Amino acid sequence: MMHSLELEVSRRPEVLERVLRVTRHRGFRVTNMQMREQGENTLLAITVEAERAIELLSNQLTKLVDVNLCVVKAQEAARQAAR
Amino acid sequence: MTETKQEQEQDSQTKQTRGADAVVKVLAAHGVDRVFGYPGGAIMPIYDALYDGEVEHVLTRHEQGAAFAAVGYARASGKTGVCLATSGPGATNLITALADALLDSVPVVAITGQVPSSLIGTDAFQEIDVLGLSLSCTKHSFMVTSVDELIPTLYQAFELAAEGRPGPVLVDIPKDIQVAAMEYRRPLQPVTALPAAAQTDLDKARALLAEAKCPMAYIGGGVGMASAVEPLRRFLNQTKMPSVCTLKGLGTVPGDDDLYLGMLGMHGLKAANLAVQECDLLLVVGARFDDRVTGKLATFAPNAKVIHLDVDAAELGKLRQPDVAIAADLCEVLPALSGDLDIQPWRDQISALKAEHRWDYDHPGELVYAPAMLKSLSEKLPKDSVVACDVGQHQMWVAQHMQFRRPEDHLSSAGLGTMGFGLPAAIGAQFARPNATVVAVSGDGSFMMNVQELATIKRMGLPVKILLLNNQKLGMVKQWQQLFFDGRLSETDLSDNPDFLLMASAFNIPGRSISKAEEVNEALDEMLSTPGPFMLHVAIDDGFNVWPLVPPGAANNEMLDKMEDK
Repeated sequence: MMHSLELEVSRRPEVLERVLRVTRHRGFRVTNMQMREQGENTLLAITVEAERAIELLSNQLTKLVDVNLCVVKAQEAARQAAR
Repeated sequence: MTETKQEQEQDSQTKQTRGADAVVKVLAAHGVDRVFGYPGGAIMPIYDALYDGEVEHVLTRHEQGAAFAAVGYARASGKTGVCLATSGPGATNLITALADALLDSVPVVAITGQVPSSLIGTDAFQEIDVLGLSLSCTKHSFMVTSVDELIPTLYQAFELAAEGRPGPVLVDIPKDIQVAAMEYRRPLQPVTALPAAAQTDLDKARALLAEAKCPMAYIGGGVGMASAVEPLRRFLNQTKMPSVCTLKGLGTVPGDDDLYLGMLGMHGLKAANLAVQECDLLLVVGARFDDRVTGKLATFAPNAKVIHLDVDAAELGKLRQPDVAIAADLCEVLPALSGDLDIQPWRDQISALKAEHRWDYDHPGELVYAPAMLKSLSEKLPKDSVVACDVGQHQMWVAQHMQFRRPEDHLSSAGLGTMGFGLPAAIGAQFARPNATVVAVSGDGSFMMNVQELATIKRMGLPVKILLLNNQKLGMVKQWQQLFFDGRLSETDLSDNPDFLLMASAFNIPGRSISKAEEVNEALDEMLSTPGPFMLHVAIDDGFNVWPLVPPGAANNEMLDKMEDK
């Protein structure tokens, strides 16, 4: 199953490695990724594919010290629809 | 008035210094009285700063020994352990112990020297990408890229190592930053509050507890790490809920609690596993459904609803979907869930189960029976004592047959299962608790993995006791070969072991060797009463295996009982 994530991470040289390492190790394959820098932060939009529930990844990414925000996009859409 | 005082204090702490001196000052400011390490080229300025003695340094004989000593120090005391190493091989030698600290949630700060900034990325002498190496074996890591970042980074490292779910944090410091001139200024310390539990979740959890007819508490190492042992004990006292512990949770529940069934899992007590399989509500406290605990996950506690309490939200739902999940401070949550439970028939069933599956120490024959010996050791140890294990059969016998007063008294490499953990962890524990009786229980395989630390015992004059169980085998692997690999004993024979007592004597450590059950009592007394270090070498039969056992891939109610041991 495909999932889309949006992350706001600290602008540090190793931050991409951190995010991608956790993604791979927790069993998710990156199929698409975009990044851009914005002030002190870097914004990442990542599409991943896995059999596993996306929360197994988003919970681990949220835990990273350099990850300031991690949103699963489908969840966000559902939340907005509920408003 | 207060503000002026604070400003004065701040001013008095602002002065010109070197990066390396600032490192030592930050250590002292965090109450670190002792660090463990090994010098080398890229960390020489920090060793120069240590020479002034503001923080004491313990020279181990291998960086892995230093890092495990820091782990032992942290686990025996609850404080953050600190280790130092140089760049390249020094840093890579720390990795195993950092991984161990990550899996067992141990607060450790590792400081590594790095080649000068201008040489990073040039394949310089003793250069390796330590930040890159650290990513998968630390909670967080830093490479300091400017001297202005040095002090805030170190403060953040200490904060991160201890807050929330603790873990190892690495700070890599290039040599030019260690020698750079700077002003020492203490940064403002952030205060990280633990998350609070939502009232609705507490209400749901209370409702599940009230409905349950057969609840079990499954208690892990998180309780000790959260300093929640007393709240947990009060909770169990008030609810009279039966409980089991993980390997890391041992010592959390008093051994004389009638409704405590001991360790669960692969080598747990049969009663503990059966009770969990039968329960209708599992209260998971600071534990994480490790595969060595659950056996076949799909059949673990199959009829139970689950309340999962852990400070790390990423553990909730990772392996077993909970009915109620609460990521909050256990010290706050446990009292909020406490109350009377109407479960007397279940308590009676637990008591019967416990009585039915008691350990049998009545072992015929002249040879030393390790479980009985460890039970005797447990009974003989003074109140203030620490047991540091290695990994293998002896580790499981310690977990099964010894009682611990608190989690800090039992140091065992639970998550990573690192052979070589025991001796350096015991050294760290002895420094953390100088008046405690510290016993390293090891096996002949594990002991050789960090045997160089006998030199640290000698150098520092430590009274560490070593109980070495020698079956001339890599016993746990051999056991699995016997059970699951048709008895093909591939590379598990260690009958060419060195003379361990002779080796100990080379480090001025006296000792004694026994092989008969009748010698155990007196030999343990001799070990414990001899001032200074002592090695008790115990030759045990290689036919003894660890029982009971949940075979890999089986459910926990399919435990194998003792088979063909001699």
